[in-house]
Amino acid sequence: MRKAATDEIAPDEGDGPPGAGGPCADAKGAGPRGRGPRPAPAHAAVGARSGIPRRREALTGLAFVAPMLLLFIVFRFGPTLGAAFLSVTDYRLSGEWTFIGAGNYTRLLGDDLFWESLGVTAVYTALYVPMTVALALGTAVLLHRTLWMRGFFRGLFFLPYVTSIVLAAVIWKWIYEVQDGLLNASLRLLGAGPVDFLGSESLVLPSIAAASAWKGFGYSMLILLAGLQSIPREVTEAARIDGASGRQRFCWVTLPLLRPVLFFVLVIEAILGFQVFDAMYVMTAGGPVRASYSLVYFLYDSGFTFFDFGYASAVGLVLFAIVLVFSLIQRRLIGRDAD
Amino acid sequence: MAPPSTSAERAAAPAPAPGPVSQHPAATARPPRRAVARLGLPVLLALVAVVTVTPFAVMVLVAFAPAGGQTLPGAFDVGRATLDNFADVLAGADITRWAVNSLVYSLVSVLLILLFSSMAGYAFAKKRFPGREILFWSFLATLMVPFQATLIPYYILVSELGGVDTYWGLIVPTLANSQAVFLMRQFIVQLPDELFEAAKIDGASEWRIYTAVVLPLIRPVLATLGVFVFLWHWNDFLWPLVIGQSAEMRTLTVGLATLEGENVAINQVMAGATITVIPCLLVFGLLQRYLTDSIATSGLKS
Repeated sequence: MRKAATDEIAPDEGDGPPGAGGPCADAKGAGPRGRGPRPAPAHAAVGARSGIPRRREALTGLAFVAPMLLLFIVFRFGPTLGAAFLSVTDYRLSGEWTFIGAGNYTRLLGDDLFWESLGVTAVYTALYVPMTVALALGTAVLLHRTLWMRGFFRGLFFLPYVTSIVLAAVIWKWIYEVQDGLLNASLRLLGAGPVDFLGSESLVLPSIAAASAWKGFGYSMLILLAGLQSIPREVTEAARIDGASGRQRFCWVTLPLLRPVLFFVLVIEAILGFQVFDAMYVMTAGGPVRASYSLVYFLYDSGFTFFDFGYASAVGLVLFAIVLVFSLIQRRLIGRDAD
Repeated sequence: MAPPSTSAERAAAPAPAPGPVSQHPAATARPPRRAVARLGLPVLLALVAVVTVTPFAVMVLVAFAPAGGQTLPGAFDVGRATLDNFADVLAGADITRWAVNSLVYSLVSVLLILLFSSMAGYAFAKKRFPGREILFWSFLATLMVPFQATLIPYYILVSELGGVDTYWGLIVPTLANSQAVFLMRQFIVQLPDELFEAAKIDGASEWRIYTAVVLPLIRPVLATLGVFVFLWHWNDFLWPLVIGQSAEMRTLTVGLATLEGENVAINQVMAGATITVIPCLLVFGLLQRYLTDSIATSGLKS
């Protein structure tokens, strides 16, 4: 450990590039420079390198990247451009297509189903994000304060995250069941009437959001926990000595310091919220009366029920634009915080 | 070198600090609010634990209950527990085939993603070649594009190539994983160049350096990433749903969703769900171990 520490200090003397300049790191010449005037034979050798070894290095580099590069060209860059192209055509299952310009987009603007699905997605996201982040923050704070069996509880709370949304949906659909579901059976014991959680237009989105929050909060919990643990103990300790109560310390010291992490988690969950599909496909098939018919469900139906590939691609681009806006907001906020 | 050492510090720092101090006799003199707070913590933990575990408990209890005998978990009659639901669901649906599909999809993807992403990560970290920066950033930029946005061109591409209802059609498109490349590159960049130089001076070929030097050094990342990739694929839904159109090509996750949709008795659905979740839990055990392991090994590394 000690040896590593001195090594890390050395480049600083030489005003070395910050870690971000990763690729420059292999110019380990920075090491010898920091250590002073000692003649460095390795350095000289690097300098004497002629064009041939460098070309060899470039070729091996390209060869090692080649398989992944090929996959990315065919299956990432290609389809991304393809989506943009398809969205301005009327591409159908037969493979025939004509260029229709903004036709799909103007059609979207006049399509009630599209606006409905966008509204459902927005409401779902507005329910899902606070539920998930509140649960994640609450459990992260709990775990942070716990010393007894922390590892066990962290693992336990993370458990739903490693299962699939489909599994969560299947189980929660049963929990919400009107007749014998866990919730209604419990309500019956209390003498309360049955509640049709998934059959009611007003309850269906909160119910699905709660099931998704149960499944998804573990990821944000781990990130928030790491954020909490990176806050120096001295800071909260100083506030305590100054007489701040537990709640004051949390609201005025911990939360502001946690803000960048919290933003990150909020945006990540919002992006996930806008991509919701699996849970609705399994739990409600979009019902009742399309009360849980999300944007991706609309995309899926356009593509694989009506085989209207051009139209579905236009929906995909709308989703991309929304996610992009969220990512840019995130970058803005976190960037400003870093200043 | 920085991230591992800080994570090791994080793991080590909070543990010894406050525990014993608050156990001192002076603590008993504190006002009663402290006592409430100290009692509140375990109660809240237990509450969250119950909420987390209950759905799993419901699944297992309904799966083992006799047909039609599902009620509150408290009303579960251990004496009447049965394996019939598992036998019935295995007989009624091709679950074994679905499990094989899920295993092929997950394991082959893990192996190939680990191979290709470590190769690419090594090149991005340690080799100079023209276009390296642009390539790396364009790989990363694809993270911004949600999968669903490119679902249609994906499907058209794979179906034009004849990949619908095939293993390769299911697997190959998912191999272009930018997160894996990113993780590998970030890890390999920290390894000292001297290790590779020494092997080169000994006359090792580039491929030999990769297999004999790089791969052993990145074992912790391989393990961690492997677990994550396995879970992503095992739990994946939309892509297998779209590409596996015949019943034989369903994965377990897609199969479970169709069971749910086909009016199969709830006891059998839950038995199927229990089967689906077992590999996740097994792998989760591994993940836990590798989380702590990776901290330990990175501590050793520096």
